Amino acid sequence: MNFSFEADALNVNYGKIPILWDITFQIPQGQMVGILGPNGAGKSTLLKAALGLVKPLSGNIALLGQAASRARKKIAYVPQRESVDWDFPITALEVVLMGRYGRLGLFGRPRKADKEAAGSALELVGMSAYADRQISQLSGGQQQRLFIARALVQEADLFLLDEPFAGVDLATEKAIIELLRRQKQQGKTVFIIHHDLPTVEEYFDWAVLLNTRLVACGPVKEVFHRDNLMRAFGKGQLLFDEAAALSAKSLSGIL
Amino acid sequence: MISFWDFFTDPVLRAPTWGCILMCFASSLMGVLIFLRKRSLLAETLSHATYPGAVIGVFLFAFLFPAHEEWTFLAVLGGAFISSLLGLKAIEWMEEKGKARSDAALCFVLAVFFGIGIVAASAMQASFPVWQKQVQMLLFGQAATMTDIHILIYGCLAFAAAFFLFLTFRPLQSTLFDRDFALSAGIPVSILDRIVFWLLLISLIVGIRSVGVVLMSGMVIAPAVAARQFSNRLQTIFGLSALFGVLSGFLGNYLSVMGSLALSQSGEKISLSLPTGPMIVLVGTSFAILSLLFAPKRGLAFRIGRILAFRFRCLQENLLKGIWKKGALSFPQIKESYPVFLPVLSWILFRMRQEGWMQKKKGLYELTRDGKQKAASIIRLHRLWELYLTESLGFQVEKVHRTAEEMEHILTPEIEERLTRLLSNPKQDPHQQPIPERYESLLGN
Repeated sequence: MNFSFEADALNVNYGKIPILWDITFQIPQGQMVGILGPNGAGKSTLLKAALGLVKPLSGNIALLGQAASRARKKIAYVPQRESVDWDFPITALEVVLMGRYGRLGLFGRPRKADKEAAGSALELVGMSAYADRQISQLSGGQQQRLFIARALVQEADLFLLDEPFAGVDLATEKAIIELLRRQKQQGKTVFIIHHDLPTVEEYFDWAVLLNTRLVACGPVKEVFHRDNLMRAFGKGQLLFDEAAALSAKSLSGIL
Repeated sequence: MISFWDFFTDPVLRAPTWGCILMCFASSLMGVLIFLRKRSLLAETLSHATYPGAVIGVFLFAFLFPAHEEWTFLAVLGGAFISSLLGLKAIEWMEEKGKARSDAALCFVLAVFFGIGIVAASAMQASFPVWQKQVQMLLFGQAATMTDIHILIYGCLAFAAAFFLFLTFRPLQSTLFDRDFALSAGIPVSILDRIVFWLLLISLIVGIRSVGVVLMSGMVIAPAVAARQFSNRLQTIFGLSALFGVLSGFLGNYLSVMGSLALSQSGEKISLSLPTGPMIVLVGTSFAILSLLFAPKRGLAFRIGRILAFRFRCLQENLLKGIWKKGALSFPQIKESYPVFLPVLSWILFRMRQEGWMQKKKGLYELTRDGKQKAASIIRLHRLWELYLTESLGFQVEKVHRTAEEMEHILTPEIEERLTRLLSNPKQDPHQQPIPERYESLLGN
């Protein structure tokens, strides 16, 4: 069986500053995986690199054993809620329908089946009453539910979620995690960038601890302990960052 | 005398009319895309970047085919196309390689390209003085000299833009709303980008003929800005933008022709004329300004109206509270505690009597039973909020009154419900004052 997510000697830079540095890990399919790390640790970048939205400097990254460009129809990506303009003229149902355009192509029109699927997905996340609302009228939790519904209609094998619980009420968080568990039970793999350490052991089977470098990757029981957390969230990183910034400046001729 | 219909049928008048209408139709459709992507400045930069190419195109044409002046427009189109393409490449290069901020790159390219264009135009004045008029015309456009061939070209462009939008509406909407998602889902974003860009470029270039390099971007953005004020549906926004575009194109041309005619008949020695391009842009921006001010829901006038209505309600609720606490108040007492413009205060008191919240007995204002109920519910919100701040958020007791003063007017019944549950239906606020129950008076307490 293929791995759900593989990274091999992955390096990603922003300009001259390293965001991800020599990352190598493999994660099997059918798991709930938490990606953990402090702010600026490169968690979102890891997902974006996997999806081909960010170009790595070197190294390889593969989803479901393939480059992302080949596996698109099997991957559902949920970006950070703040990454889009919620004042955009679009209704809740239209957002969910977006989940189907990838396979409909450039001139595709959503068929009746697509519309019904979108309607059911909205119902599943408890939002059918808001189908025709303009999205700015929804609360933060409802907007996040909308994104989850969009991912569901993609009928993907792999879910990549970027901070789905940021600024979301507890009821929504529980509802979302429940829906994702159901996906896992059907053999799908779910990656979640997560911030709330106390819930890690409850939510996830596997954990990836990241802080520019890979701190640990493995089953939660094995890697989620004090030592690794100290290494991921502790201040030991600062020296590395400083040296990296210094090197970036020297290389670009500022120093 | 020119009749209204002559503008559409007369062999001389119809070309500018139809030309302007079709050009504005196409550019206002493309404008919605640029506006929603928040790249409005791109249109401005690219239209200015066409100028050096157009000038050099005319220059070469004059040099190579001095006898065929009627075909100069081909040289203008070709040159404009190449130089705005170069402008775009320069912007992309500066953003990617030079790490320049997007607005800096746009302004830089605009200034440099337009500057080169102006220099080239003045060089031309020396070497080809006769052709200089052609180049000068491009700055502010010249609609009056359009011919039927222009109608054909603009018609094709307008059709292409509308047809493209119709075919790719859904993927386009997705890409505009959530680009990263669209890329991740395999929507052909880069193809869409390229087509949108080519159509924008073409609509800018043909617009130069009627509106001119300097003002063209106004014609792209203004109808979209106006349309956004009226709707939250993308389909409707496209439709309205096209409508505003068409109206601006027609009215601008109409006003220019009729206005110039009226001015020339007024018998002044210096004959004035109203240029078409600027008139079109003026009409378009008037639509935008009027929409920004008066559109329902989003317009400034309505927002001010809502703010006033809210202030009015706050004052009314504060009066209810004041009288509730004291039992009854006389007009001089009210005047003293609520320093509001007197006629407004009298009007509010009158309205509150009309609406059944209070009555006036022997010069004293008292609350009716309904008024007391309403006042109690406001006090309840106030005290619930104070308790929430101290209990749940750890505020100091002395500091909670002021924000509660504001929140009592804001909290909805739903939030009240949640507060009640969170604080497990409390009876006392942090100042040891009783919190009135909901529907207290109806329950018969």
